[in-house]
Amino acid sequence: MKIIMSVTLSLILIIILLFGVAELPEFGDPNSPVNNYVSQRYLDKGLEETGAMNLIAGIILDYRAYDTFGESTVLFTSVICVLALLKGTGGKS
Amino acid sequence: MNDIILKEIGKIVIPYIQIFGIYVIFNGHLSPGGGFSGGTVIGASLVLYKLIYGPEMIKKIINYKIVMHSMSIALLAYGILKGYSFITGGADLHLFQIPLGTPGNILSGGLLLPLNIAVGIIVGFTIFAFYSLFDEGEL
Repeated sequence: MKIIMSVTLSLILIIILLFGVAELPEFGDPNSPVNNYVSQRYLDKGLEETGAMNLIAGIILDYRAYDTFGESTVLFTSVICVLALLKGTGGKS
Repeated sequence: MNDIILKEIGKIVIPYIQIFGIYVIFNGHLSPGGGFSGGTVIGASLVLYKLIYGPEMIKKIINYKIVMHSMSIALLAYGILKGYSFITGGADLHLFQIPLGTPGNILSGGLLLPLNIAVGIIVGFTIFAFYSLFDEGEL
């Protein structure tokens, strides 16, 4: 009974998710919602607004700098957590 | 690991790896690369150094205090620099902004270079700290 229940539930979830995927725009579609004014603005004014030849660095450290700050904080926090768990336990020895 | 070949090759290779990592970090706003990749390269060189010369040699240079202090200071510097930039730029207060310079120079791009260095320090020490902690349980 449990197996039948879980298989049915998984099938229903798979069908719902597949209906969602079918609505996605095709790869390379020029009319997809990804091609909006944001990427155009980055391409047009990225150099003069951030002063970076490497536009990726201009985006991740200037337009999206708060996101990179979060990534650095994640790394820092993970080191602190591993330190709290493993310090002084002497892994290999 | 007490191998003479490993030690001599390490003497030659490790400085080049570290200089390449510093190059990738400092050219992050001009060429592909940046804080994350350059920091990973530097962290890999530190791991190699520890593998070859043992934990006693590297403790003279990089110990617990240095790792924690550099990572905290780098994270704080990132927050303060970019927070200042967000506050003044977002609120349009016309306070002092770091000039952008001519694109293509090393000293250009405003805050990108210091932020890249801060991210590089954090990532490099993270790699080294993970290796060190999982290997012997201490920094």
